[in-house]
Amino acid sequence: MVKGNWALFEEDFWAINTILQSLIQTSSSKSVMLIDKTGQLISSIGEPPGFDVTQGTNESMYLSLIANRVILVVLFDRKTSLGLVRLKARRGGEELLSVLNKLFDKLQYKNEEISAATLGAEFTAEAESEIDSLFKE
Amino acid sequence: MSLINYSSREINCKIVYYGPGLCGKTTNLQHIYSRVPQETRGKMISLATEMDRTLFFDFLPLELGQIRGFRTRFHLYTVPGQVYYNASRKLILKGVDGIVFVADSQIDRFEANVESYMNMLDNLTEHDLNLERIPFVMQYNKRDLPRVVPVDDLERELNPRKAPYFEAVALRGTGVFDTLKVACKLVLKTLG
Repeated sequence: MVKGNWALFEEDFWAINTILQSLIQTSSSKSVMLIDKTGQLISSIGEPPGFDVTQGTNESMYLSLIANRVILVVLFDRKTSLGLVRLKARRGGEELLSVLNKLFDKLQYKNEEISAATLGAEFTAEAESEIDSLFKE
Repeated sequence: MSLINYSSREINCKIVYYGPGLCGKTTNLQHIYSRVPQETRGKMISLATEMDRTLFFDFLPLELGQIRGFRTRFHLYTVPGQVYYNASRKLILKGVDGIVFVADSQIDRFEANVESYMNMLDNLTEHDLNLERIPFVMQYNKRDLPRVVPVDDLERELNPRKAPYFEAVALRGTGVFDTLKVACKLVLKTLG
């Protein structure tokens, strides 16, 4: 198992956010999210969704799977159309795919040294004391 | 599979509560939700049936706050215990960073524990994961009930690798935080 095998670095994060930003603007959507298939939110742009697991009458959701690993979610209302969202999401998806592929390559080679350099014993000790103080009867 | 975001400086880890139906996985999460400070917990999401059985999963995000500049979060999930929901269980195990196995101590549920444990091993194998390399904590729940299996027997059958274990009465909260704390710490060790 690779250590923390999903690490996002400054440049990747901004590259992803730029794509999401452009997607939300050109498609006139309300909110765009990128979520890992395991349920981790990678990034989100726009209004946070105001519902949990409901079918909205006024809002719609467009989902697409990227690199078989990441889900692109676009939430939109009647200000735009499904056709436009689909078109822009497809383009955005292609751009995201190239950013993500580079990121996955990088993770495969560098993950161990990067996580060892940044986190480390002090992080663990501090986190442990936080756990002790928060999680108690 | 933890997510470390060096740009927004966030770390998210995923802990899954596994175990047979009605062993008390959801009860563990409910107790945690009721006792942690409000700013620590997110919204608890339960997808349950009318009979109060978990249909898909429960989800509870916990936030430790800033640790050396990183907002550190644990996402707690439960799996549906009922045998026929295996596709959901497998899906929820994807990308897991740590597992808590909640065993039902009652004599009548001994077989169900073993079956669920074996099912967990199978599902991990399908994700190319190995229990020896995943932070793992065992919880023997319902110790207050009259007809329970002795802990030694449960240990022999369900915990051959001698992972840390706790006796619990989740309904009253006994052992719930002890279990959670050790699980979180073991997960953090894999990051540190």
